[in-house]
Amino acid sequence: MKSDNMNKSALDLAIRYGFIVLLCGLALFFSLYASGFASPRSAVFIFQSVAITGILALGVTCTLVVGGFDLSIGSVATSALMLSAYSMVILEQSALVAVLLCLAMGALVGLINGILIVKMRVPDLLATLGMMFLLIGLQRIPTQGNSIATGMSLPDGSVAEGTFSAAFLWLGRHRFDLFLDRLLPVPVVLFLLIALIIWLFLGYTRHGRLMYAIGSNERAAGLVGTNVQRYKIVAYMISGMLASVGGILLAARLGRGDIASGNNLLLDSVAAALIGFAVLGAARPNAFGTAAGALFVGILLQGLTMMNAPYYMQDFVKGVVLVAALVFTFYLSSRRGGRKTA
Amino acid sequence: MLRREFMKLAVAAGLGLSASGAALAADMPAPFDKPEDVKIALVRYLSTGDFFQSYLSGVEKQAEALGVDLRVLDSRQDAALQADMVDQAIALGVDGIIIQHGLTESMKAAAQRAVDAGIKVVAFDVDVENDAVPQVEQSDYLLGKMALEQAIKDNGDSFTAGYVYVPGIAPLDRRDVAWKEVKEANPGITEAAMFGTLDNPIANSVANQARSILQANPNISVVFAPYDEFAKGVKIAVDEAGLSQDIDIYSADVSTADISAMREPDSAWAATVATNPAVVGEVSVRTLALMLAGEDPDAQVVVPPTLITQEFLNENDVKNMDDLGEKMPQFRHADVSVAEWIPLPKR
Repeated sequence: MKSDNMNKSALDLAIRYGFIVLLCGLALFFSLYASGFASPRSAVFIFQSVAITGILALGVTCTLVVGGFDLSIGSVATSALMLSAYSMVILEQSALVAVLLCLAMGALVGLINGILIVKMRVPDLLATLGMMFLLIGLQRIPTQGNSIATGMSLPDGSVAEGTFSAAFLWLGRHRFDLFLDRLLPVPVVLFLLIALIIWLFLGYTRHGRLMYAIGSNERAAGLVGTNVQRYKIVAYMISGMLASVGGILLAARLGRGDIASGNNLLLDSVAAALIGFAVLGAARPNAFGTAAGALFVGILLQGLTMMNAPYYMQDFVKGVVLVAALVFTFYLSSRRGGRKTA
Repeated sequence: MLRREFMKLAVAAGLGLSASGAALAADMPAPFDKPEDVKIALVRYLSTGDFFQSYLSGVEKQAEALGVDLRVLDSRQDAALQADMVDQAIALGVDGIIIQHGLTESMKAAAQRAVDAGIKVVAFDVDVENDAVPQVEQSDYLLGKMALEQAIKDNGDSFTAGYVYVPGIAPLDRRDVAWKEVKEANPGITEAAMFGTLDNPIANSVANQARSILQANPNISVVFAPYDEFAKGVKIAVDEAGLSQDIDIYSADVSTADISAMREPDSAWAATVATNPAVVGEVSVRTLALMLAGEDPDAQVVVPPTLITQEFLNENDVKNMDDLGEKMPQFRHADVSVAEWIPLPKR
């Protein structure tokens, strides 16, 4: 009996802290074996490399919480990228207008997703898949499939005179001083801020708890008077808006409107959210886990790049991590749950 | 010189076509004396992105200048569909087909079927292993070679380099041959790191990688990034690391966005080598037209690339691709597969 108890608590510990230990171990390993890894600057660019997918992943987390899924985030992000470039370079609008347009676009896409799913009863994967294709096509229509950059020739023969305004580029390129000069980039600050807000919102507000309740049992939540439909729509709107924030930051970093499908953004951010299930043995979507999951993938990829591992190796490792995280979540946690009832 | 005068005449003749079509059409060899009856098809494998968009515009413009009926079939990276589309074009009764990219394995048989049906076929950037099918190419090997020659000219023959490469992509593999040769020939050049990814947005993913590479290898002074999306990514990383004075980037391909990135103050992007995709598109159509008129082009039609340096762009105040064509005539028009009777597109 005693050893059984010990096993149980060891398992508990493994589930709870296994991932965090792995994260620290990984950081230690790369610090020893990859030259230049252990430095504040390198820590910052790991954050920077995951900031955009991290923000998208936080959006997915919100839809996962209500038992949904959003496949359109990648294309929402690239649509925001194109839209911001379009409004500044071709329509010659200010940074503020560009940002507001993108956020409105994200919210609108989320609203449509939500209505399709809640009112039209289209399954979430299918509705957002459709939206994904729609957006990939839509973002290319205004420029006939060309990327947007200052000086490009327009179909009517004139030349686009607008530029990315300095205020907009600031969003992607400015760095705050922190101990070192020009250390902390804006996207990282935004990522941490959004992670904190989503974490507080989901974990510590009535709304957040109701969203979890909807996710675990929609009917029950509805029966006790929760406005299930409205919460679900709001979750998709948050997801859409966060995705467009990601797109804005991407545009500010690239400084041009790049044609891209955003599929890799989608996959990376979904992976981060799913890995997040395993962090602290939560076994459910949560903002802290998502941020940690994104960071985990970031550390791995940057470390491997520094050690000159080729890109396919990185894809492979990403896959291994994801599978391991899912095993953590679904198998180990179910065993733990099983024992409790036994 | 004489040739240029001649070209001008040809262009003038081409422009005159619209005014007095009947008079000029008589000078065209069959079947172009009745160009509206000539049907050609462009069967595409790759279509997304600036390069392919620009290629298409070149094909469209040259087809319009000739006055032929152009059908565009786009398989969007579906190799099986692309082969079916060739059959579809055969069924449509086209006179000529341009195969744009694709896989040798799937296109070889399809091209043969078209040739058997008496259709003239031109292939761009795909080897269909058929003597009756000339291959139009932008010389990827030369793209890499010329960029590296410029790098050696600027930096001497010994430097530490970073190299951006993703194996298994045909044009990148051909550019890689040039890099291997140059490394071999110049023992002073060391490759400190090789990296690269095609995760899109490519520039963003490459920037993330390049940040780590530059951190891990502070002695890198030259980055060879033979694809403009790679170069863009490296430039972002170099700027973020505050190293734009210390590192030179050499790349291949060019676009309006690339031009503005190269011209930013203190830009690390020193030079790029490019073929104008629109010109390649025009050459593809002209080669097909020559074949339809019964002439016999070479088995390989190579469109020569042009070196574009940051210095040149700044000196001539080049802002976009149109400016570049004006200031660098060899970029706007390639004297490849031309004939007196073929009208060139309006500029």
